[in-house]
Amino acid sequence: MDKLLRNKKAIAFFMLPAFILFTLVLFIPIVQSVYYSFCDYKGITAPVFIGLDNYKNLLSDKTFGIALKNSFFFLIFSCVSQLIIGLFYAALLTNIQKGRNAFKNIIYLPCVLSSAALGLLWMFIFSPKLGISQLLEKWGVENPPLWLMDTKGTIILPMWVIAFVSLWQYVGQSMMLYMAQISGISKSLFEASYIDGCTKAMTFRHITLPLIRPMVATAMSLNAIGSLKFFDLIFNMTEGGPNHKTEVLATHLYQQGFKYFKYGYASAIGVVLLILCLLVTLFINKLVKTEQYEM
Amino acid sequence: MKKRRLLATILSAAMLATSLVGCGGTSGGESGGGSTGGSSGGSEASGGGSEGVQEISWMFWDDLNATEDLISLGYKDTIERFNKDYEGKYHVTPITTNLEEYYNKLNALVAAGETPDVFIVSPGPQLTDYVAPGYAAPLDEYLNKDGWKDTFTSDAVFTQQTYDGKIYAVPLNTAAACCFYNKEMFEAAGASVPTNWDEMIAACDKLQAAGYTPVTISAGTAWCLSMVAGYLCEAEGVDLAKLADGSASWEDGKLESACNKLLKFSEYFQRTAAGDTNDVATANFYNGEAAMLIQGSWAIGQINGQSPDFEEKCGVFQFPGVDRIIAKSDSLCMSSTTKCPEGSAAFIKYFTDDTAQKYTAEKGGKIPVTKVQYDASAAPKQLGDVMNIFSNAKGTFGFYNESLPTTEAGAHFDDTMVAVFLKDMTPADAAKDMEEYYKANCRK
Repeated sequence: MDKLLRNKKAIAFFMLPAFILFTLVLFIPIVQSVYYSFCDYKGITAPVFIGLDNYKNLLSDKTFGIALKNSFFFLIFSCVSQLIIGLFYAALLTNIQKGRNAFKNIIYLPCVLSSAALGLLWMFIFSPKLGISQLLEKWGVENPPLWLMDTKGTIILPMWVIAFVSLWQYVGQSMMLYMAQISGISKSLFEASYIDGCTKAMTFRHITLPLIRPMVATAMSLNAIGSLKFFDLIFNMTEGGPNHKTEVLATHLYQQGFKYFKYGYASAIGVVLLILCLLVTLFINKLVKTEQYEM
Repeated sequence: MKKRRLLATILSAAMLATSLVGCGGTSGGESGGGSTGGSSGGSEASGGGSEGVQEISWMFWDDLNATEDLISLGYKDTIERFNKDYEGKYHVTPITTNLEEYYNKLNALVAAGETPDVFIVSPGPQLTDYVAPGYAAPLDEYLNKDGWKDTFTSDAVFTQQTYDGKIYAVPLNTAAACCFYNKEMFEAAGASVPTNWDEMIAACDKLQAAGYTPVTISAGTAWCLSMVAGYLCEAEGVDLAKLADGSASWEDGKLESACNKLLKFSEYFQRTAAGDTNDVATANFYNGEAAMLIQGSWAIGQINGQSPDFEEKCGVFQFPGVDRIIAKSDSLCMSSTTKCPEGSAAFIKYFTDDTAQKYTAEKGGKIPVTKVQYDASAAPKQLGDVMNIFSNAKGTFGFYNESLPTTEAGAHFDDTMVAVFLKDMTPADAAKDMEEYYKANCRK
């Protein structure tokens, strides 16, 4: 193995397919998008360089402002809620013997289902003529909330509803990551703490939490990037409405690119999204300081 | 261990076999009944096909297999007729999607270089989007052949489809935006058909007092609300041409006044208007949940298709307070990159032949664009009312979102009207916003 690792030709040979794939599928399109973001480009005619105009237009685009606000809402909501609930599930399930796998599968199941199908399912559940609203009306609630149509407030009700659905769908992923990390902690550490008189809560606070910090940073980064790129549930549940109030960066990008042929402008939104993802990941890695322990 | 290995080998073989099956394609096209989405684009499909059959792709904004809209079902019949008559020569494969997603998907195919051979489009800036960059082919050569153009009621039907003297799309039918009303509810509430704005509000008051929802409308599908706003602007005398060239301003008080009327009118809308789609709002009407629906006369096919018994209860009147009516036509374009122009033109012609046009009037309830003689007694009752409205109107004008200088300006108008309805904007702010938008994007 050592001999193989010293052979630079062999290393290059094994790396080449991944390098070519990465360059063709990811790197070149990213560079192209960055270039198009400085152009007036409609996809048909050649792109015309217009400097920072697309970025200047973003500043006066009201829908972009709403989309940015909603994307940040998702980011904060999903990072916090998935951290707390994911960790809670993980701690709970690692401490129970009976039914652990069954609960794990039930919580993780929505993760592997199609977001488009789930979006439609929840849209029906929150429709004023079906699901929850009908139940509430049967129970005597007059004018039940318009779950996906209400437009009052800074963060409107449909955003909270979609954030809840997103939490329900993806919390299993965070739970699995935390469970994997918790099960990697040596049992002798817990046993030693119990001998020293620690309660379960103290063990969790002083042993589990510090040792899963690297995974907290990873899970939060994944949540943050996923939230900023969030598209499918919103598109299927509200299509960004009413009147663009549930628009997020990805749906706005889609609308601008495919509805109005404004590929240059859509690319500028894409570049902003990319920069935000990078900044947020850096911020989370700074925020969650990790130390290496022997486990 | 051996068992595990055996199982792993069997599973791997199964996966490989599945992926190989997935790679293999079926060469046979689908029958004219229509596929729903997923079909390949035109440039790839056309000219191909086995045994010399040329494939033609046709993109449309309704699911031909699931729809109960009578106009869409008529289009499905037309495809079946064409595929039967041209068996062995041409074959049409529909690419269908829902209306809300139609232009997004069409644009994605166009951008990918897979423009469908024939596609439906609304006249105005949306058609311009395909004509200006050269995606749509001029059709004069085909229209002038065999007297096809002479079958149309007049050359005027091509006005909105003509650019620099060339016709880029063929209209299939004409529809007018009208007020549909439930005669039984009007009678029970003691309301009469309004002829001016005050009478409209009075009728709504009576309907509301009788416990009915006076109006069902969709603000979720923004152009539906914007259509009403368009009528209110027309009543106030808004001149779009002058606004476009800068000789008039959106802030001259007319739009503000129209918006104030819209706000007043919105007091009579159903509670879920903000999020209801066009289909849901229309269903509210034919399901007897609201007394009025303001919609294009294409809704006749949808209403009668979904609820045949409703035809007797359904009356139609002109939007009160305006002399002109909003009219539009569905039009078909041919891709400039089609490998089968003759077949595509022949296919478009099928939509305007006597069989298709008679169906348009007698079943679909839309106004034919050709000189076809149809049996008025067989046509839906609502069509007679629409024809009367047409003959009494002093002219027509287009949907506002299709009459402004660009598709985006139209969408901005739609969004602004929805913002007024949601009370996110005051009427004065709406006027200011439109003026600023025009200054920045529409005037040179």
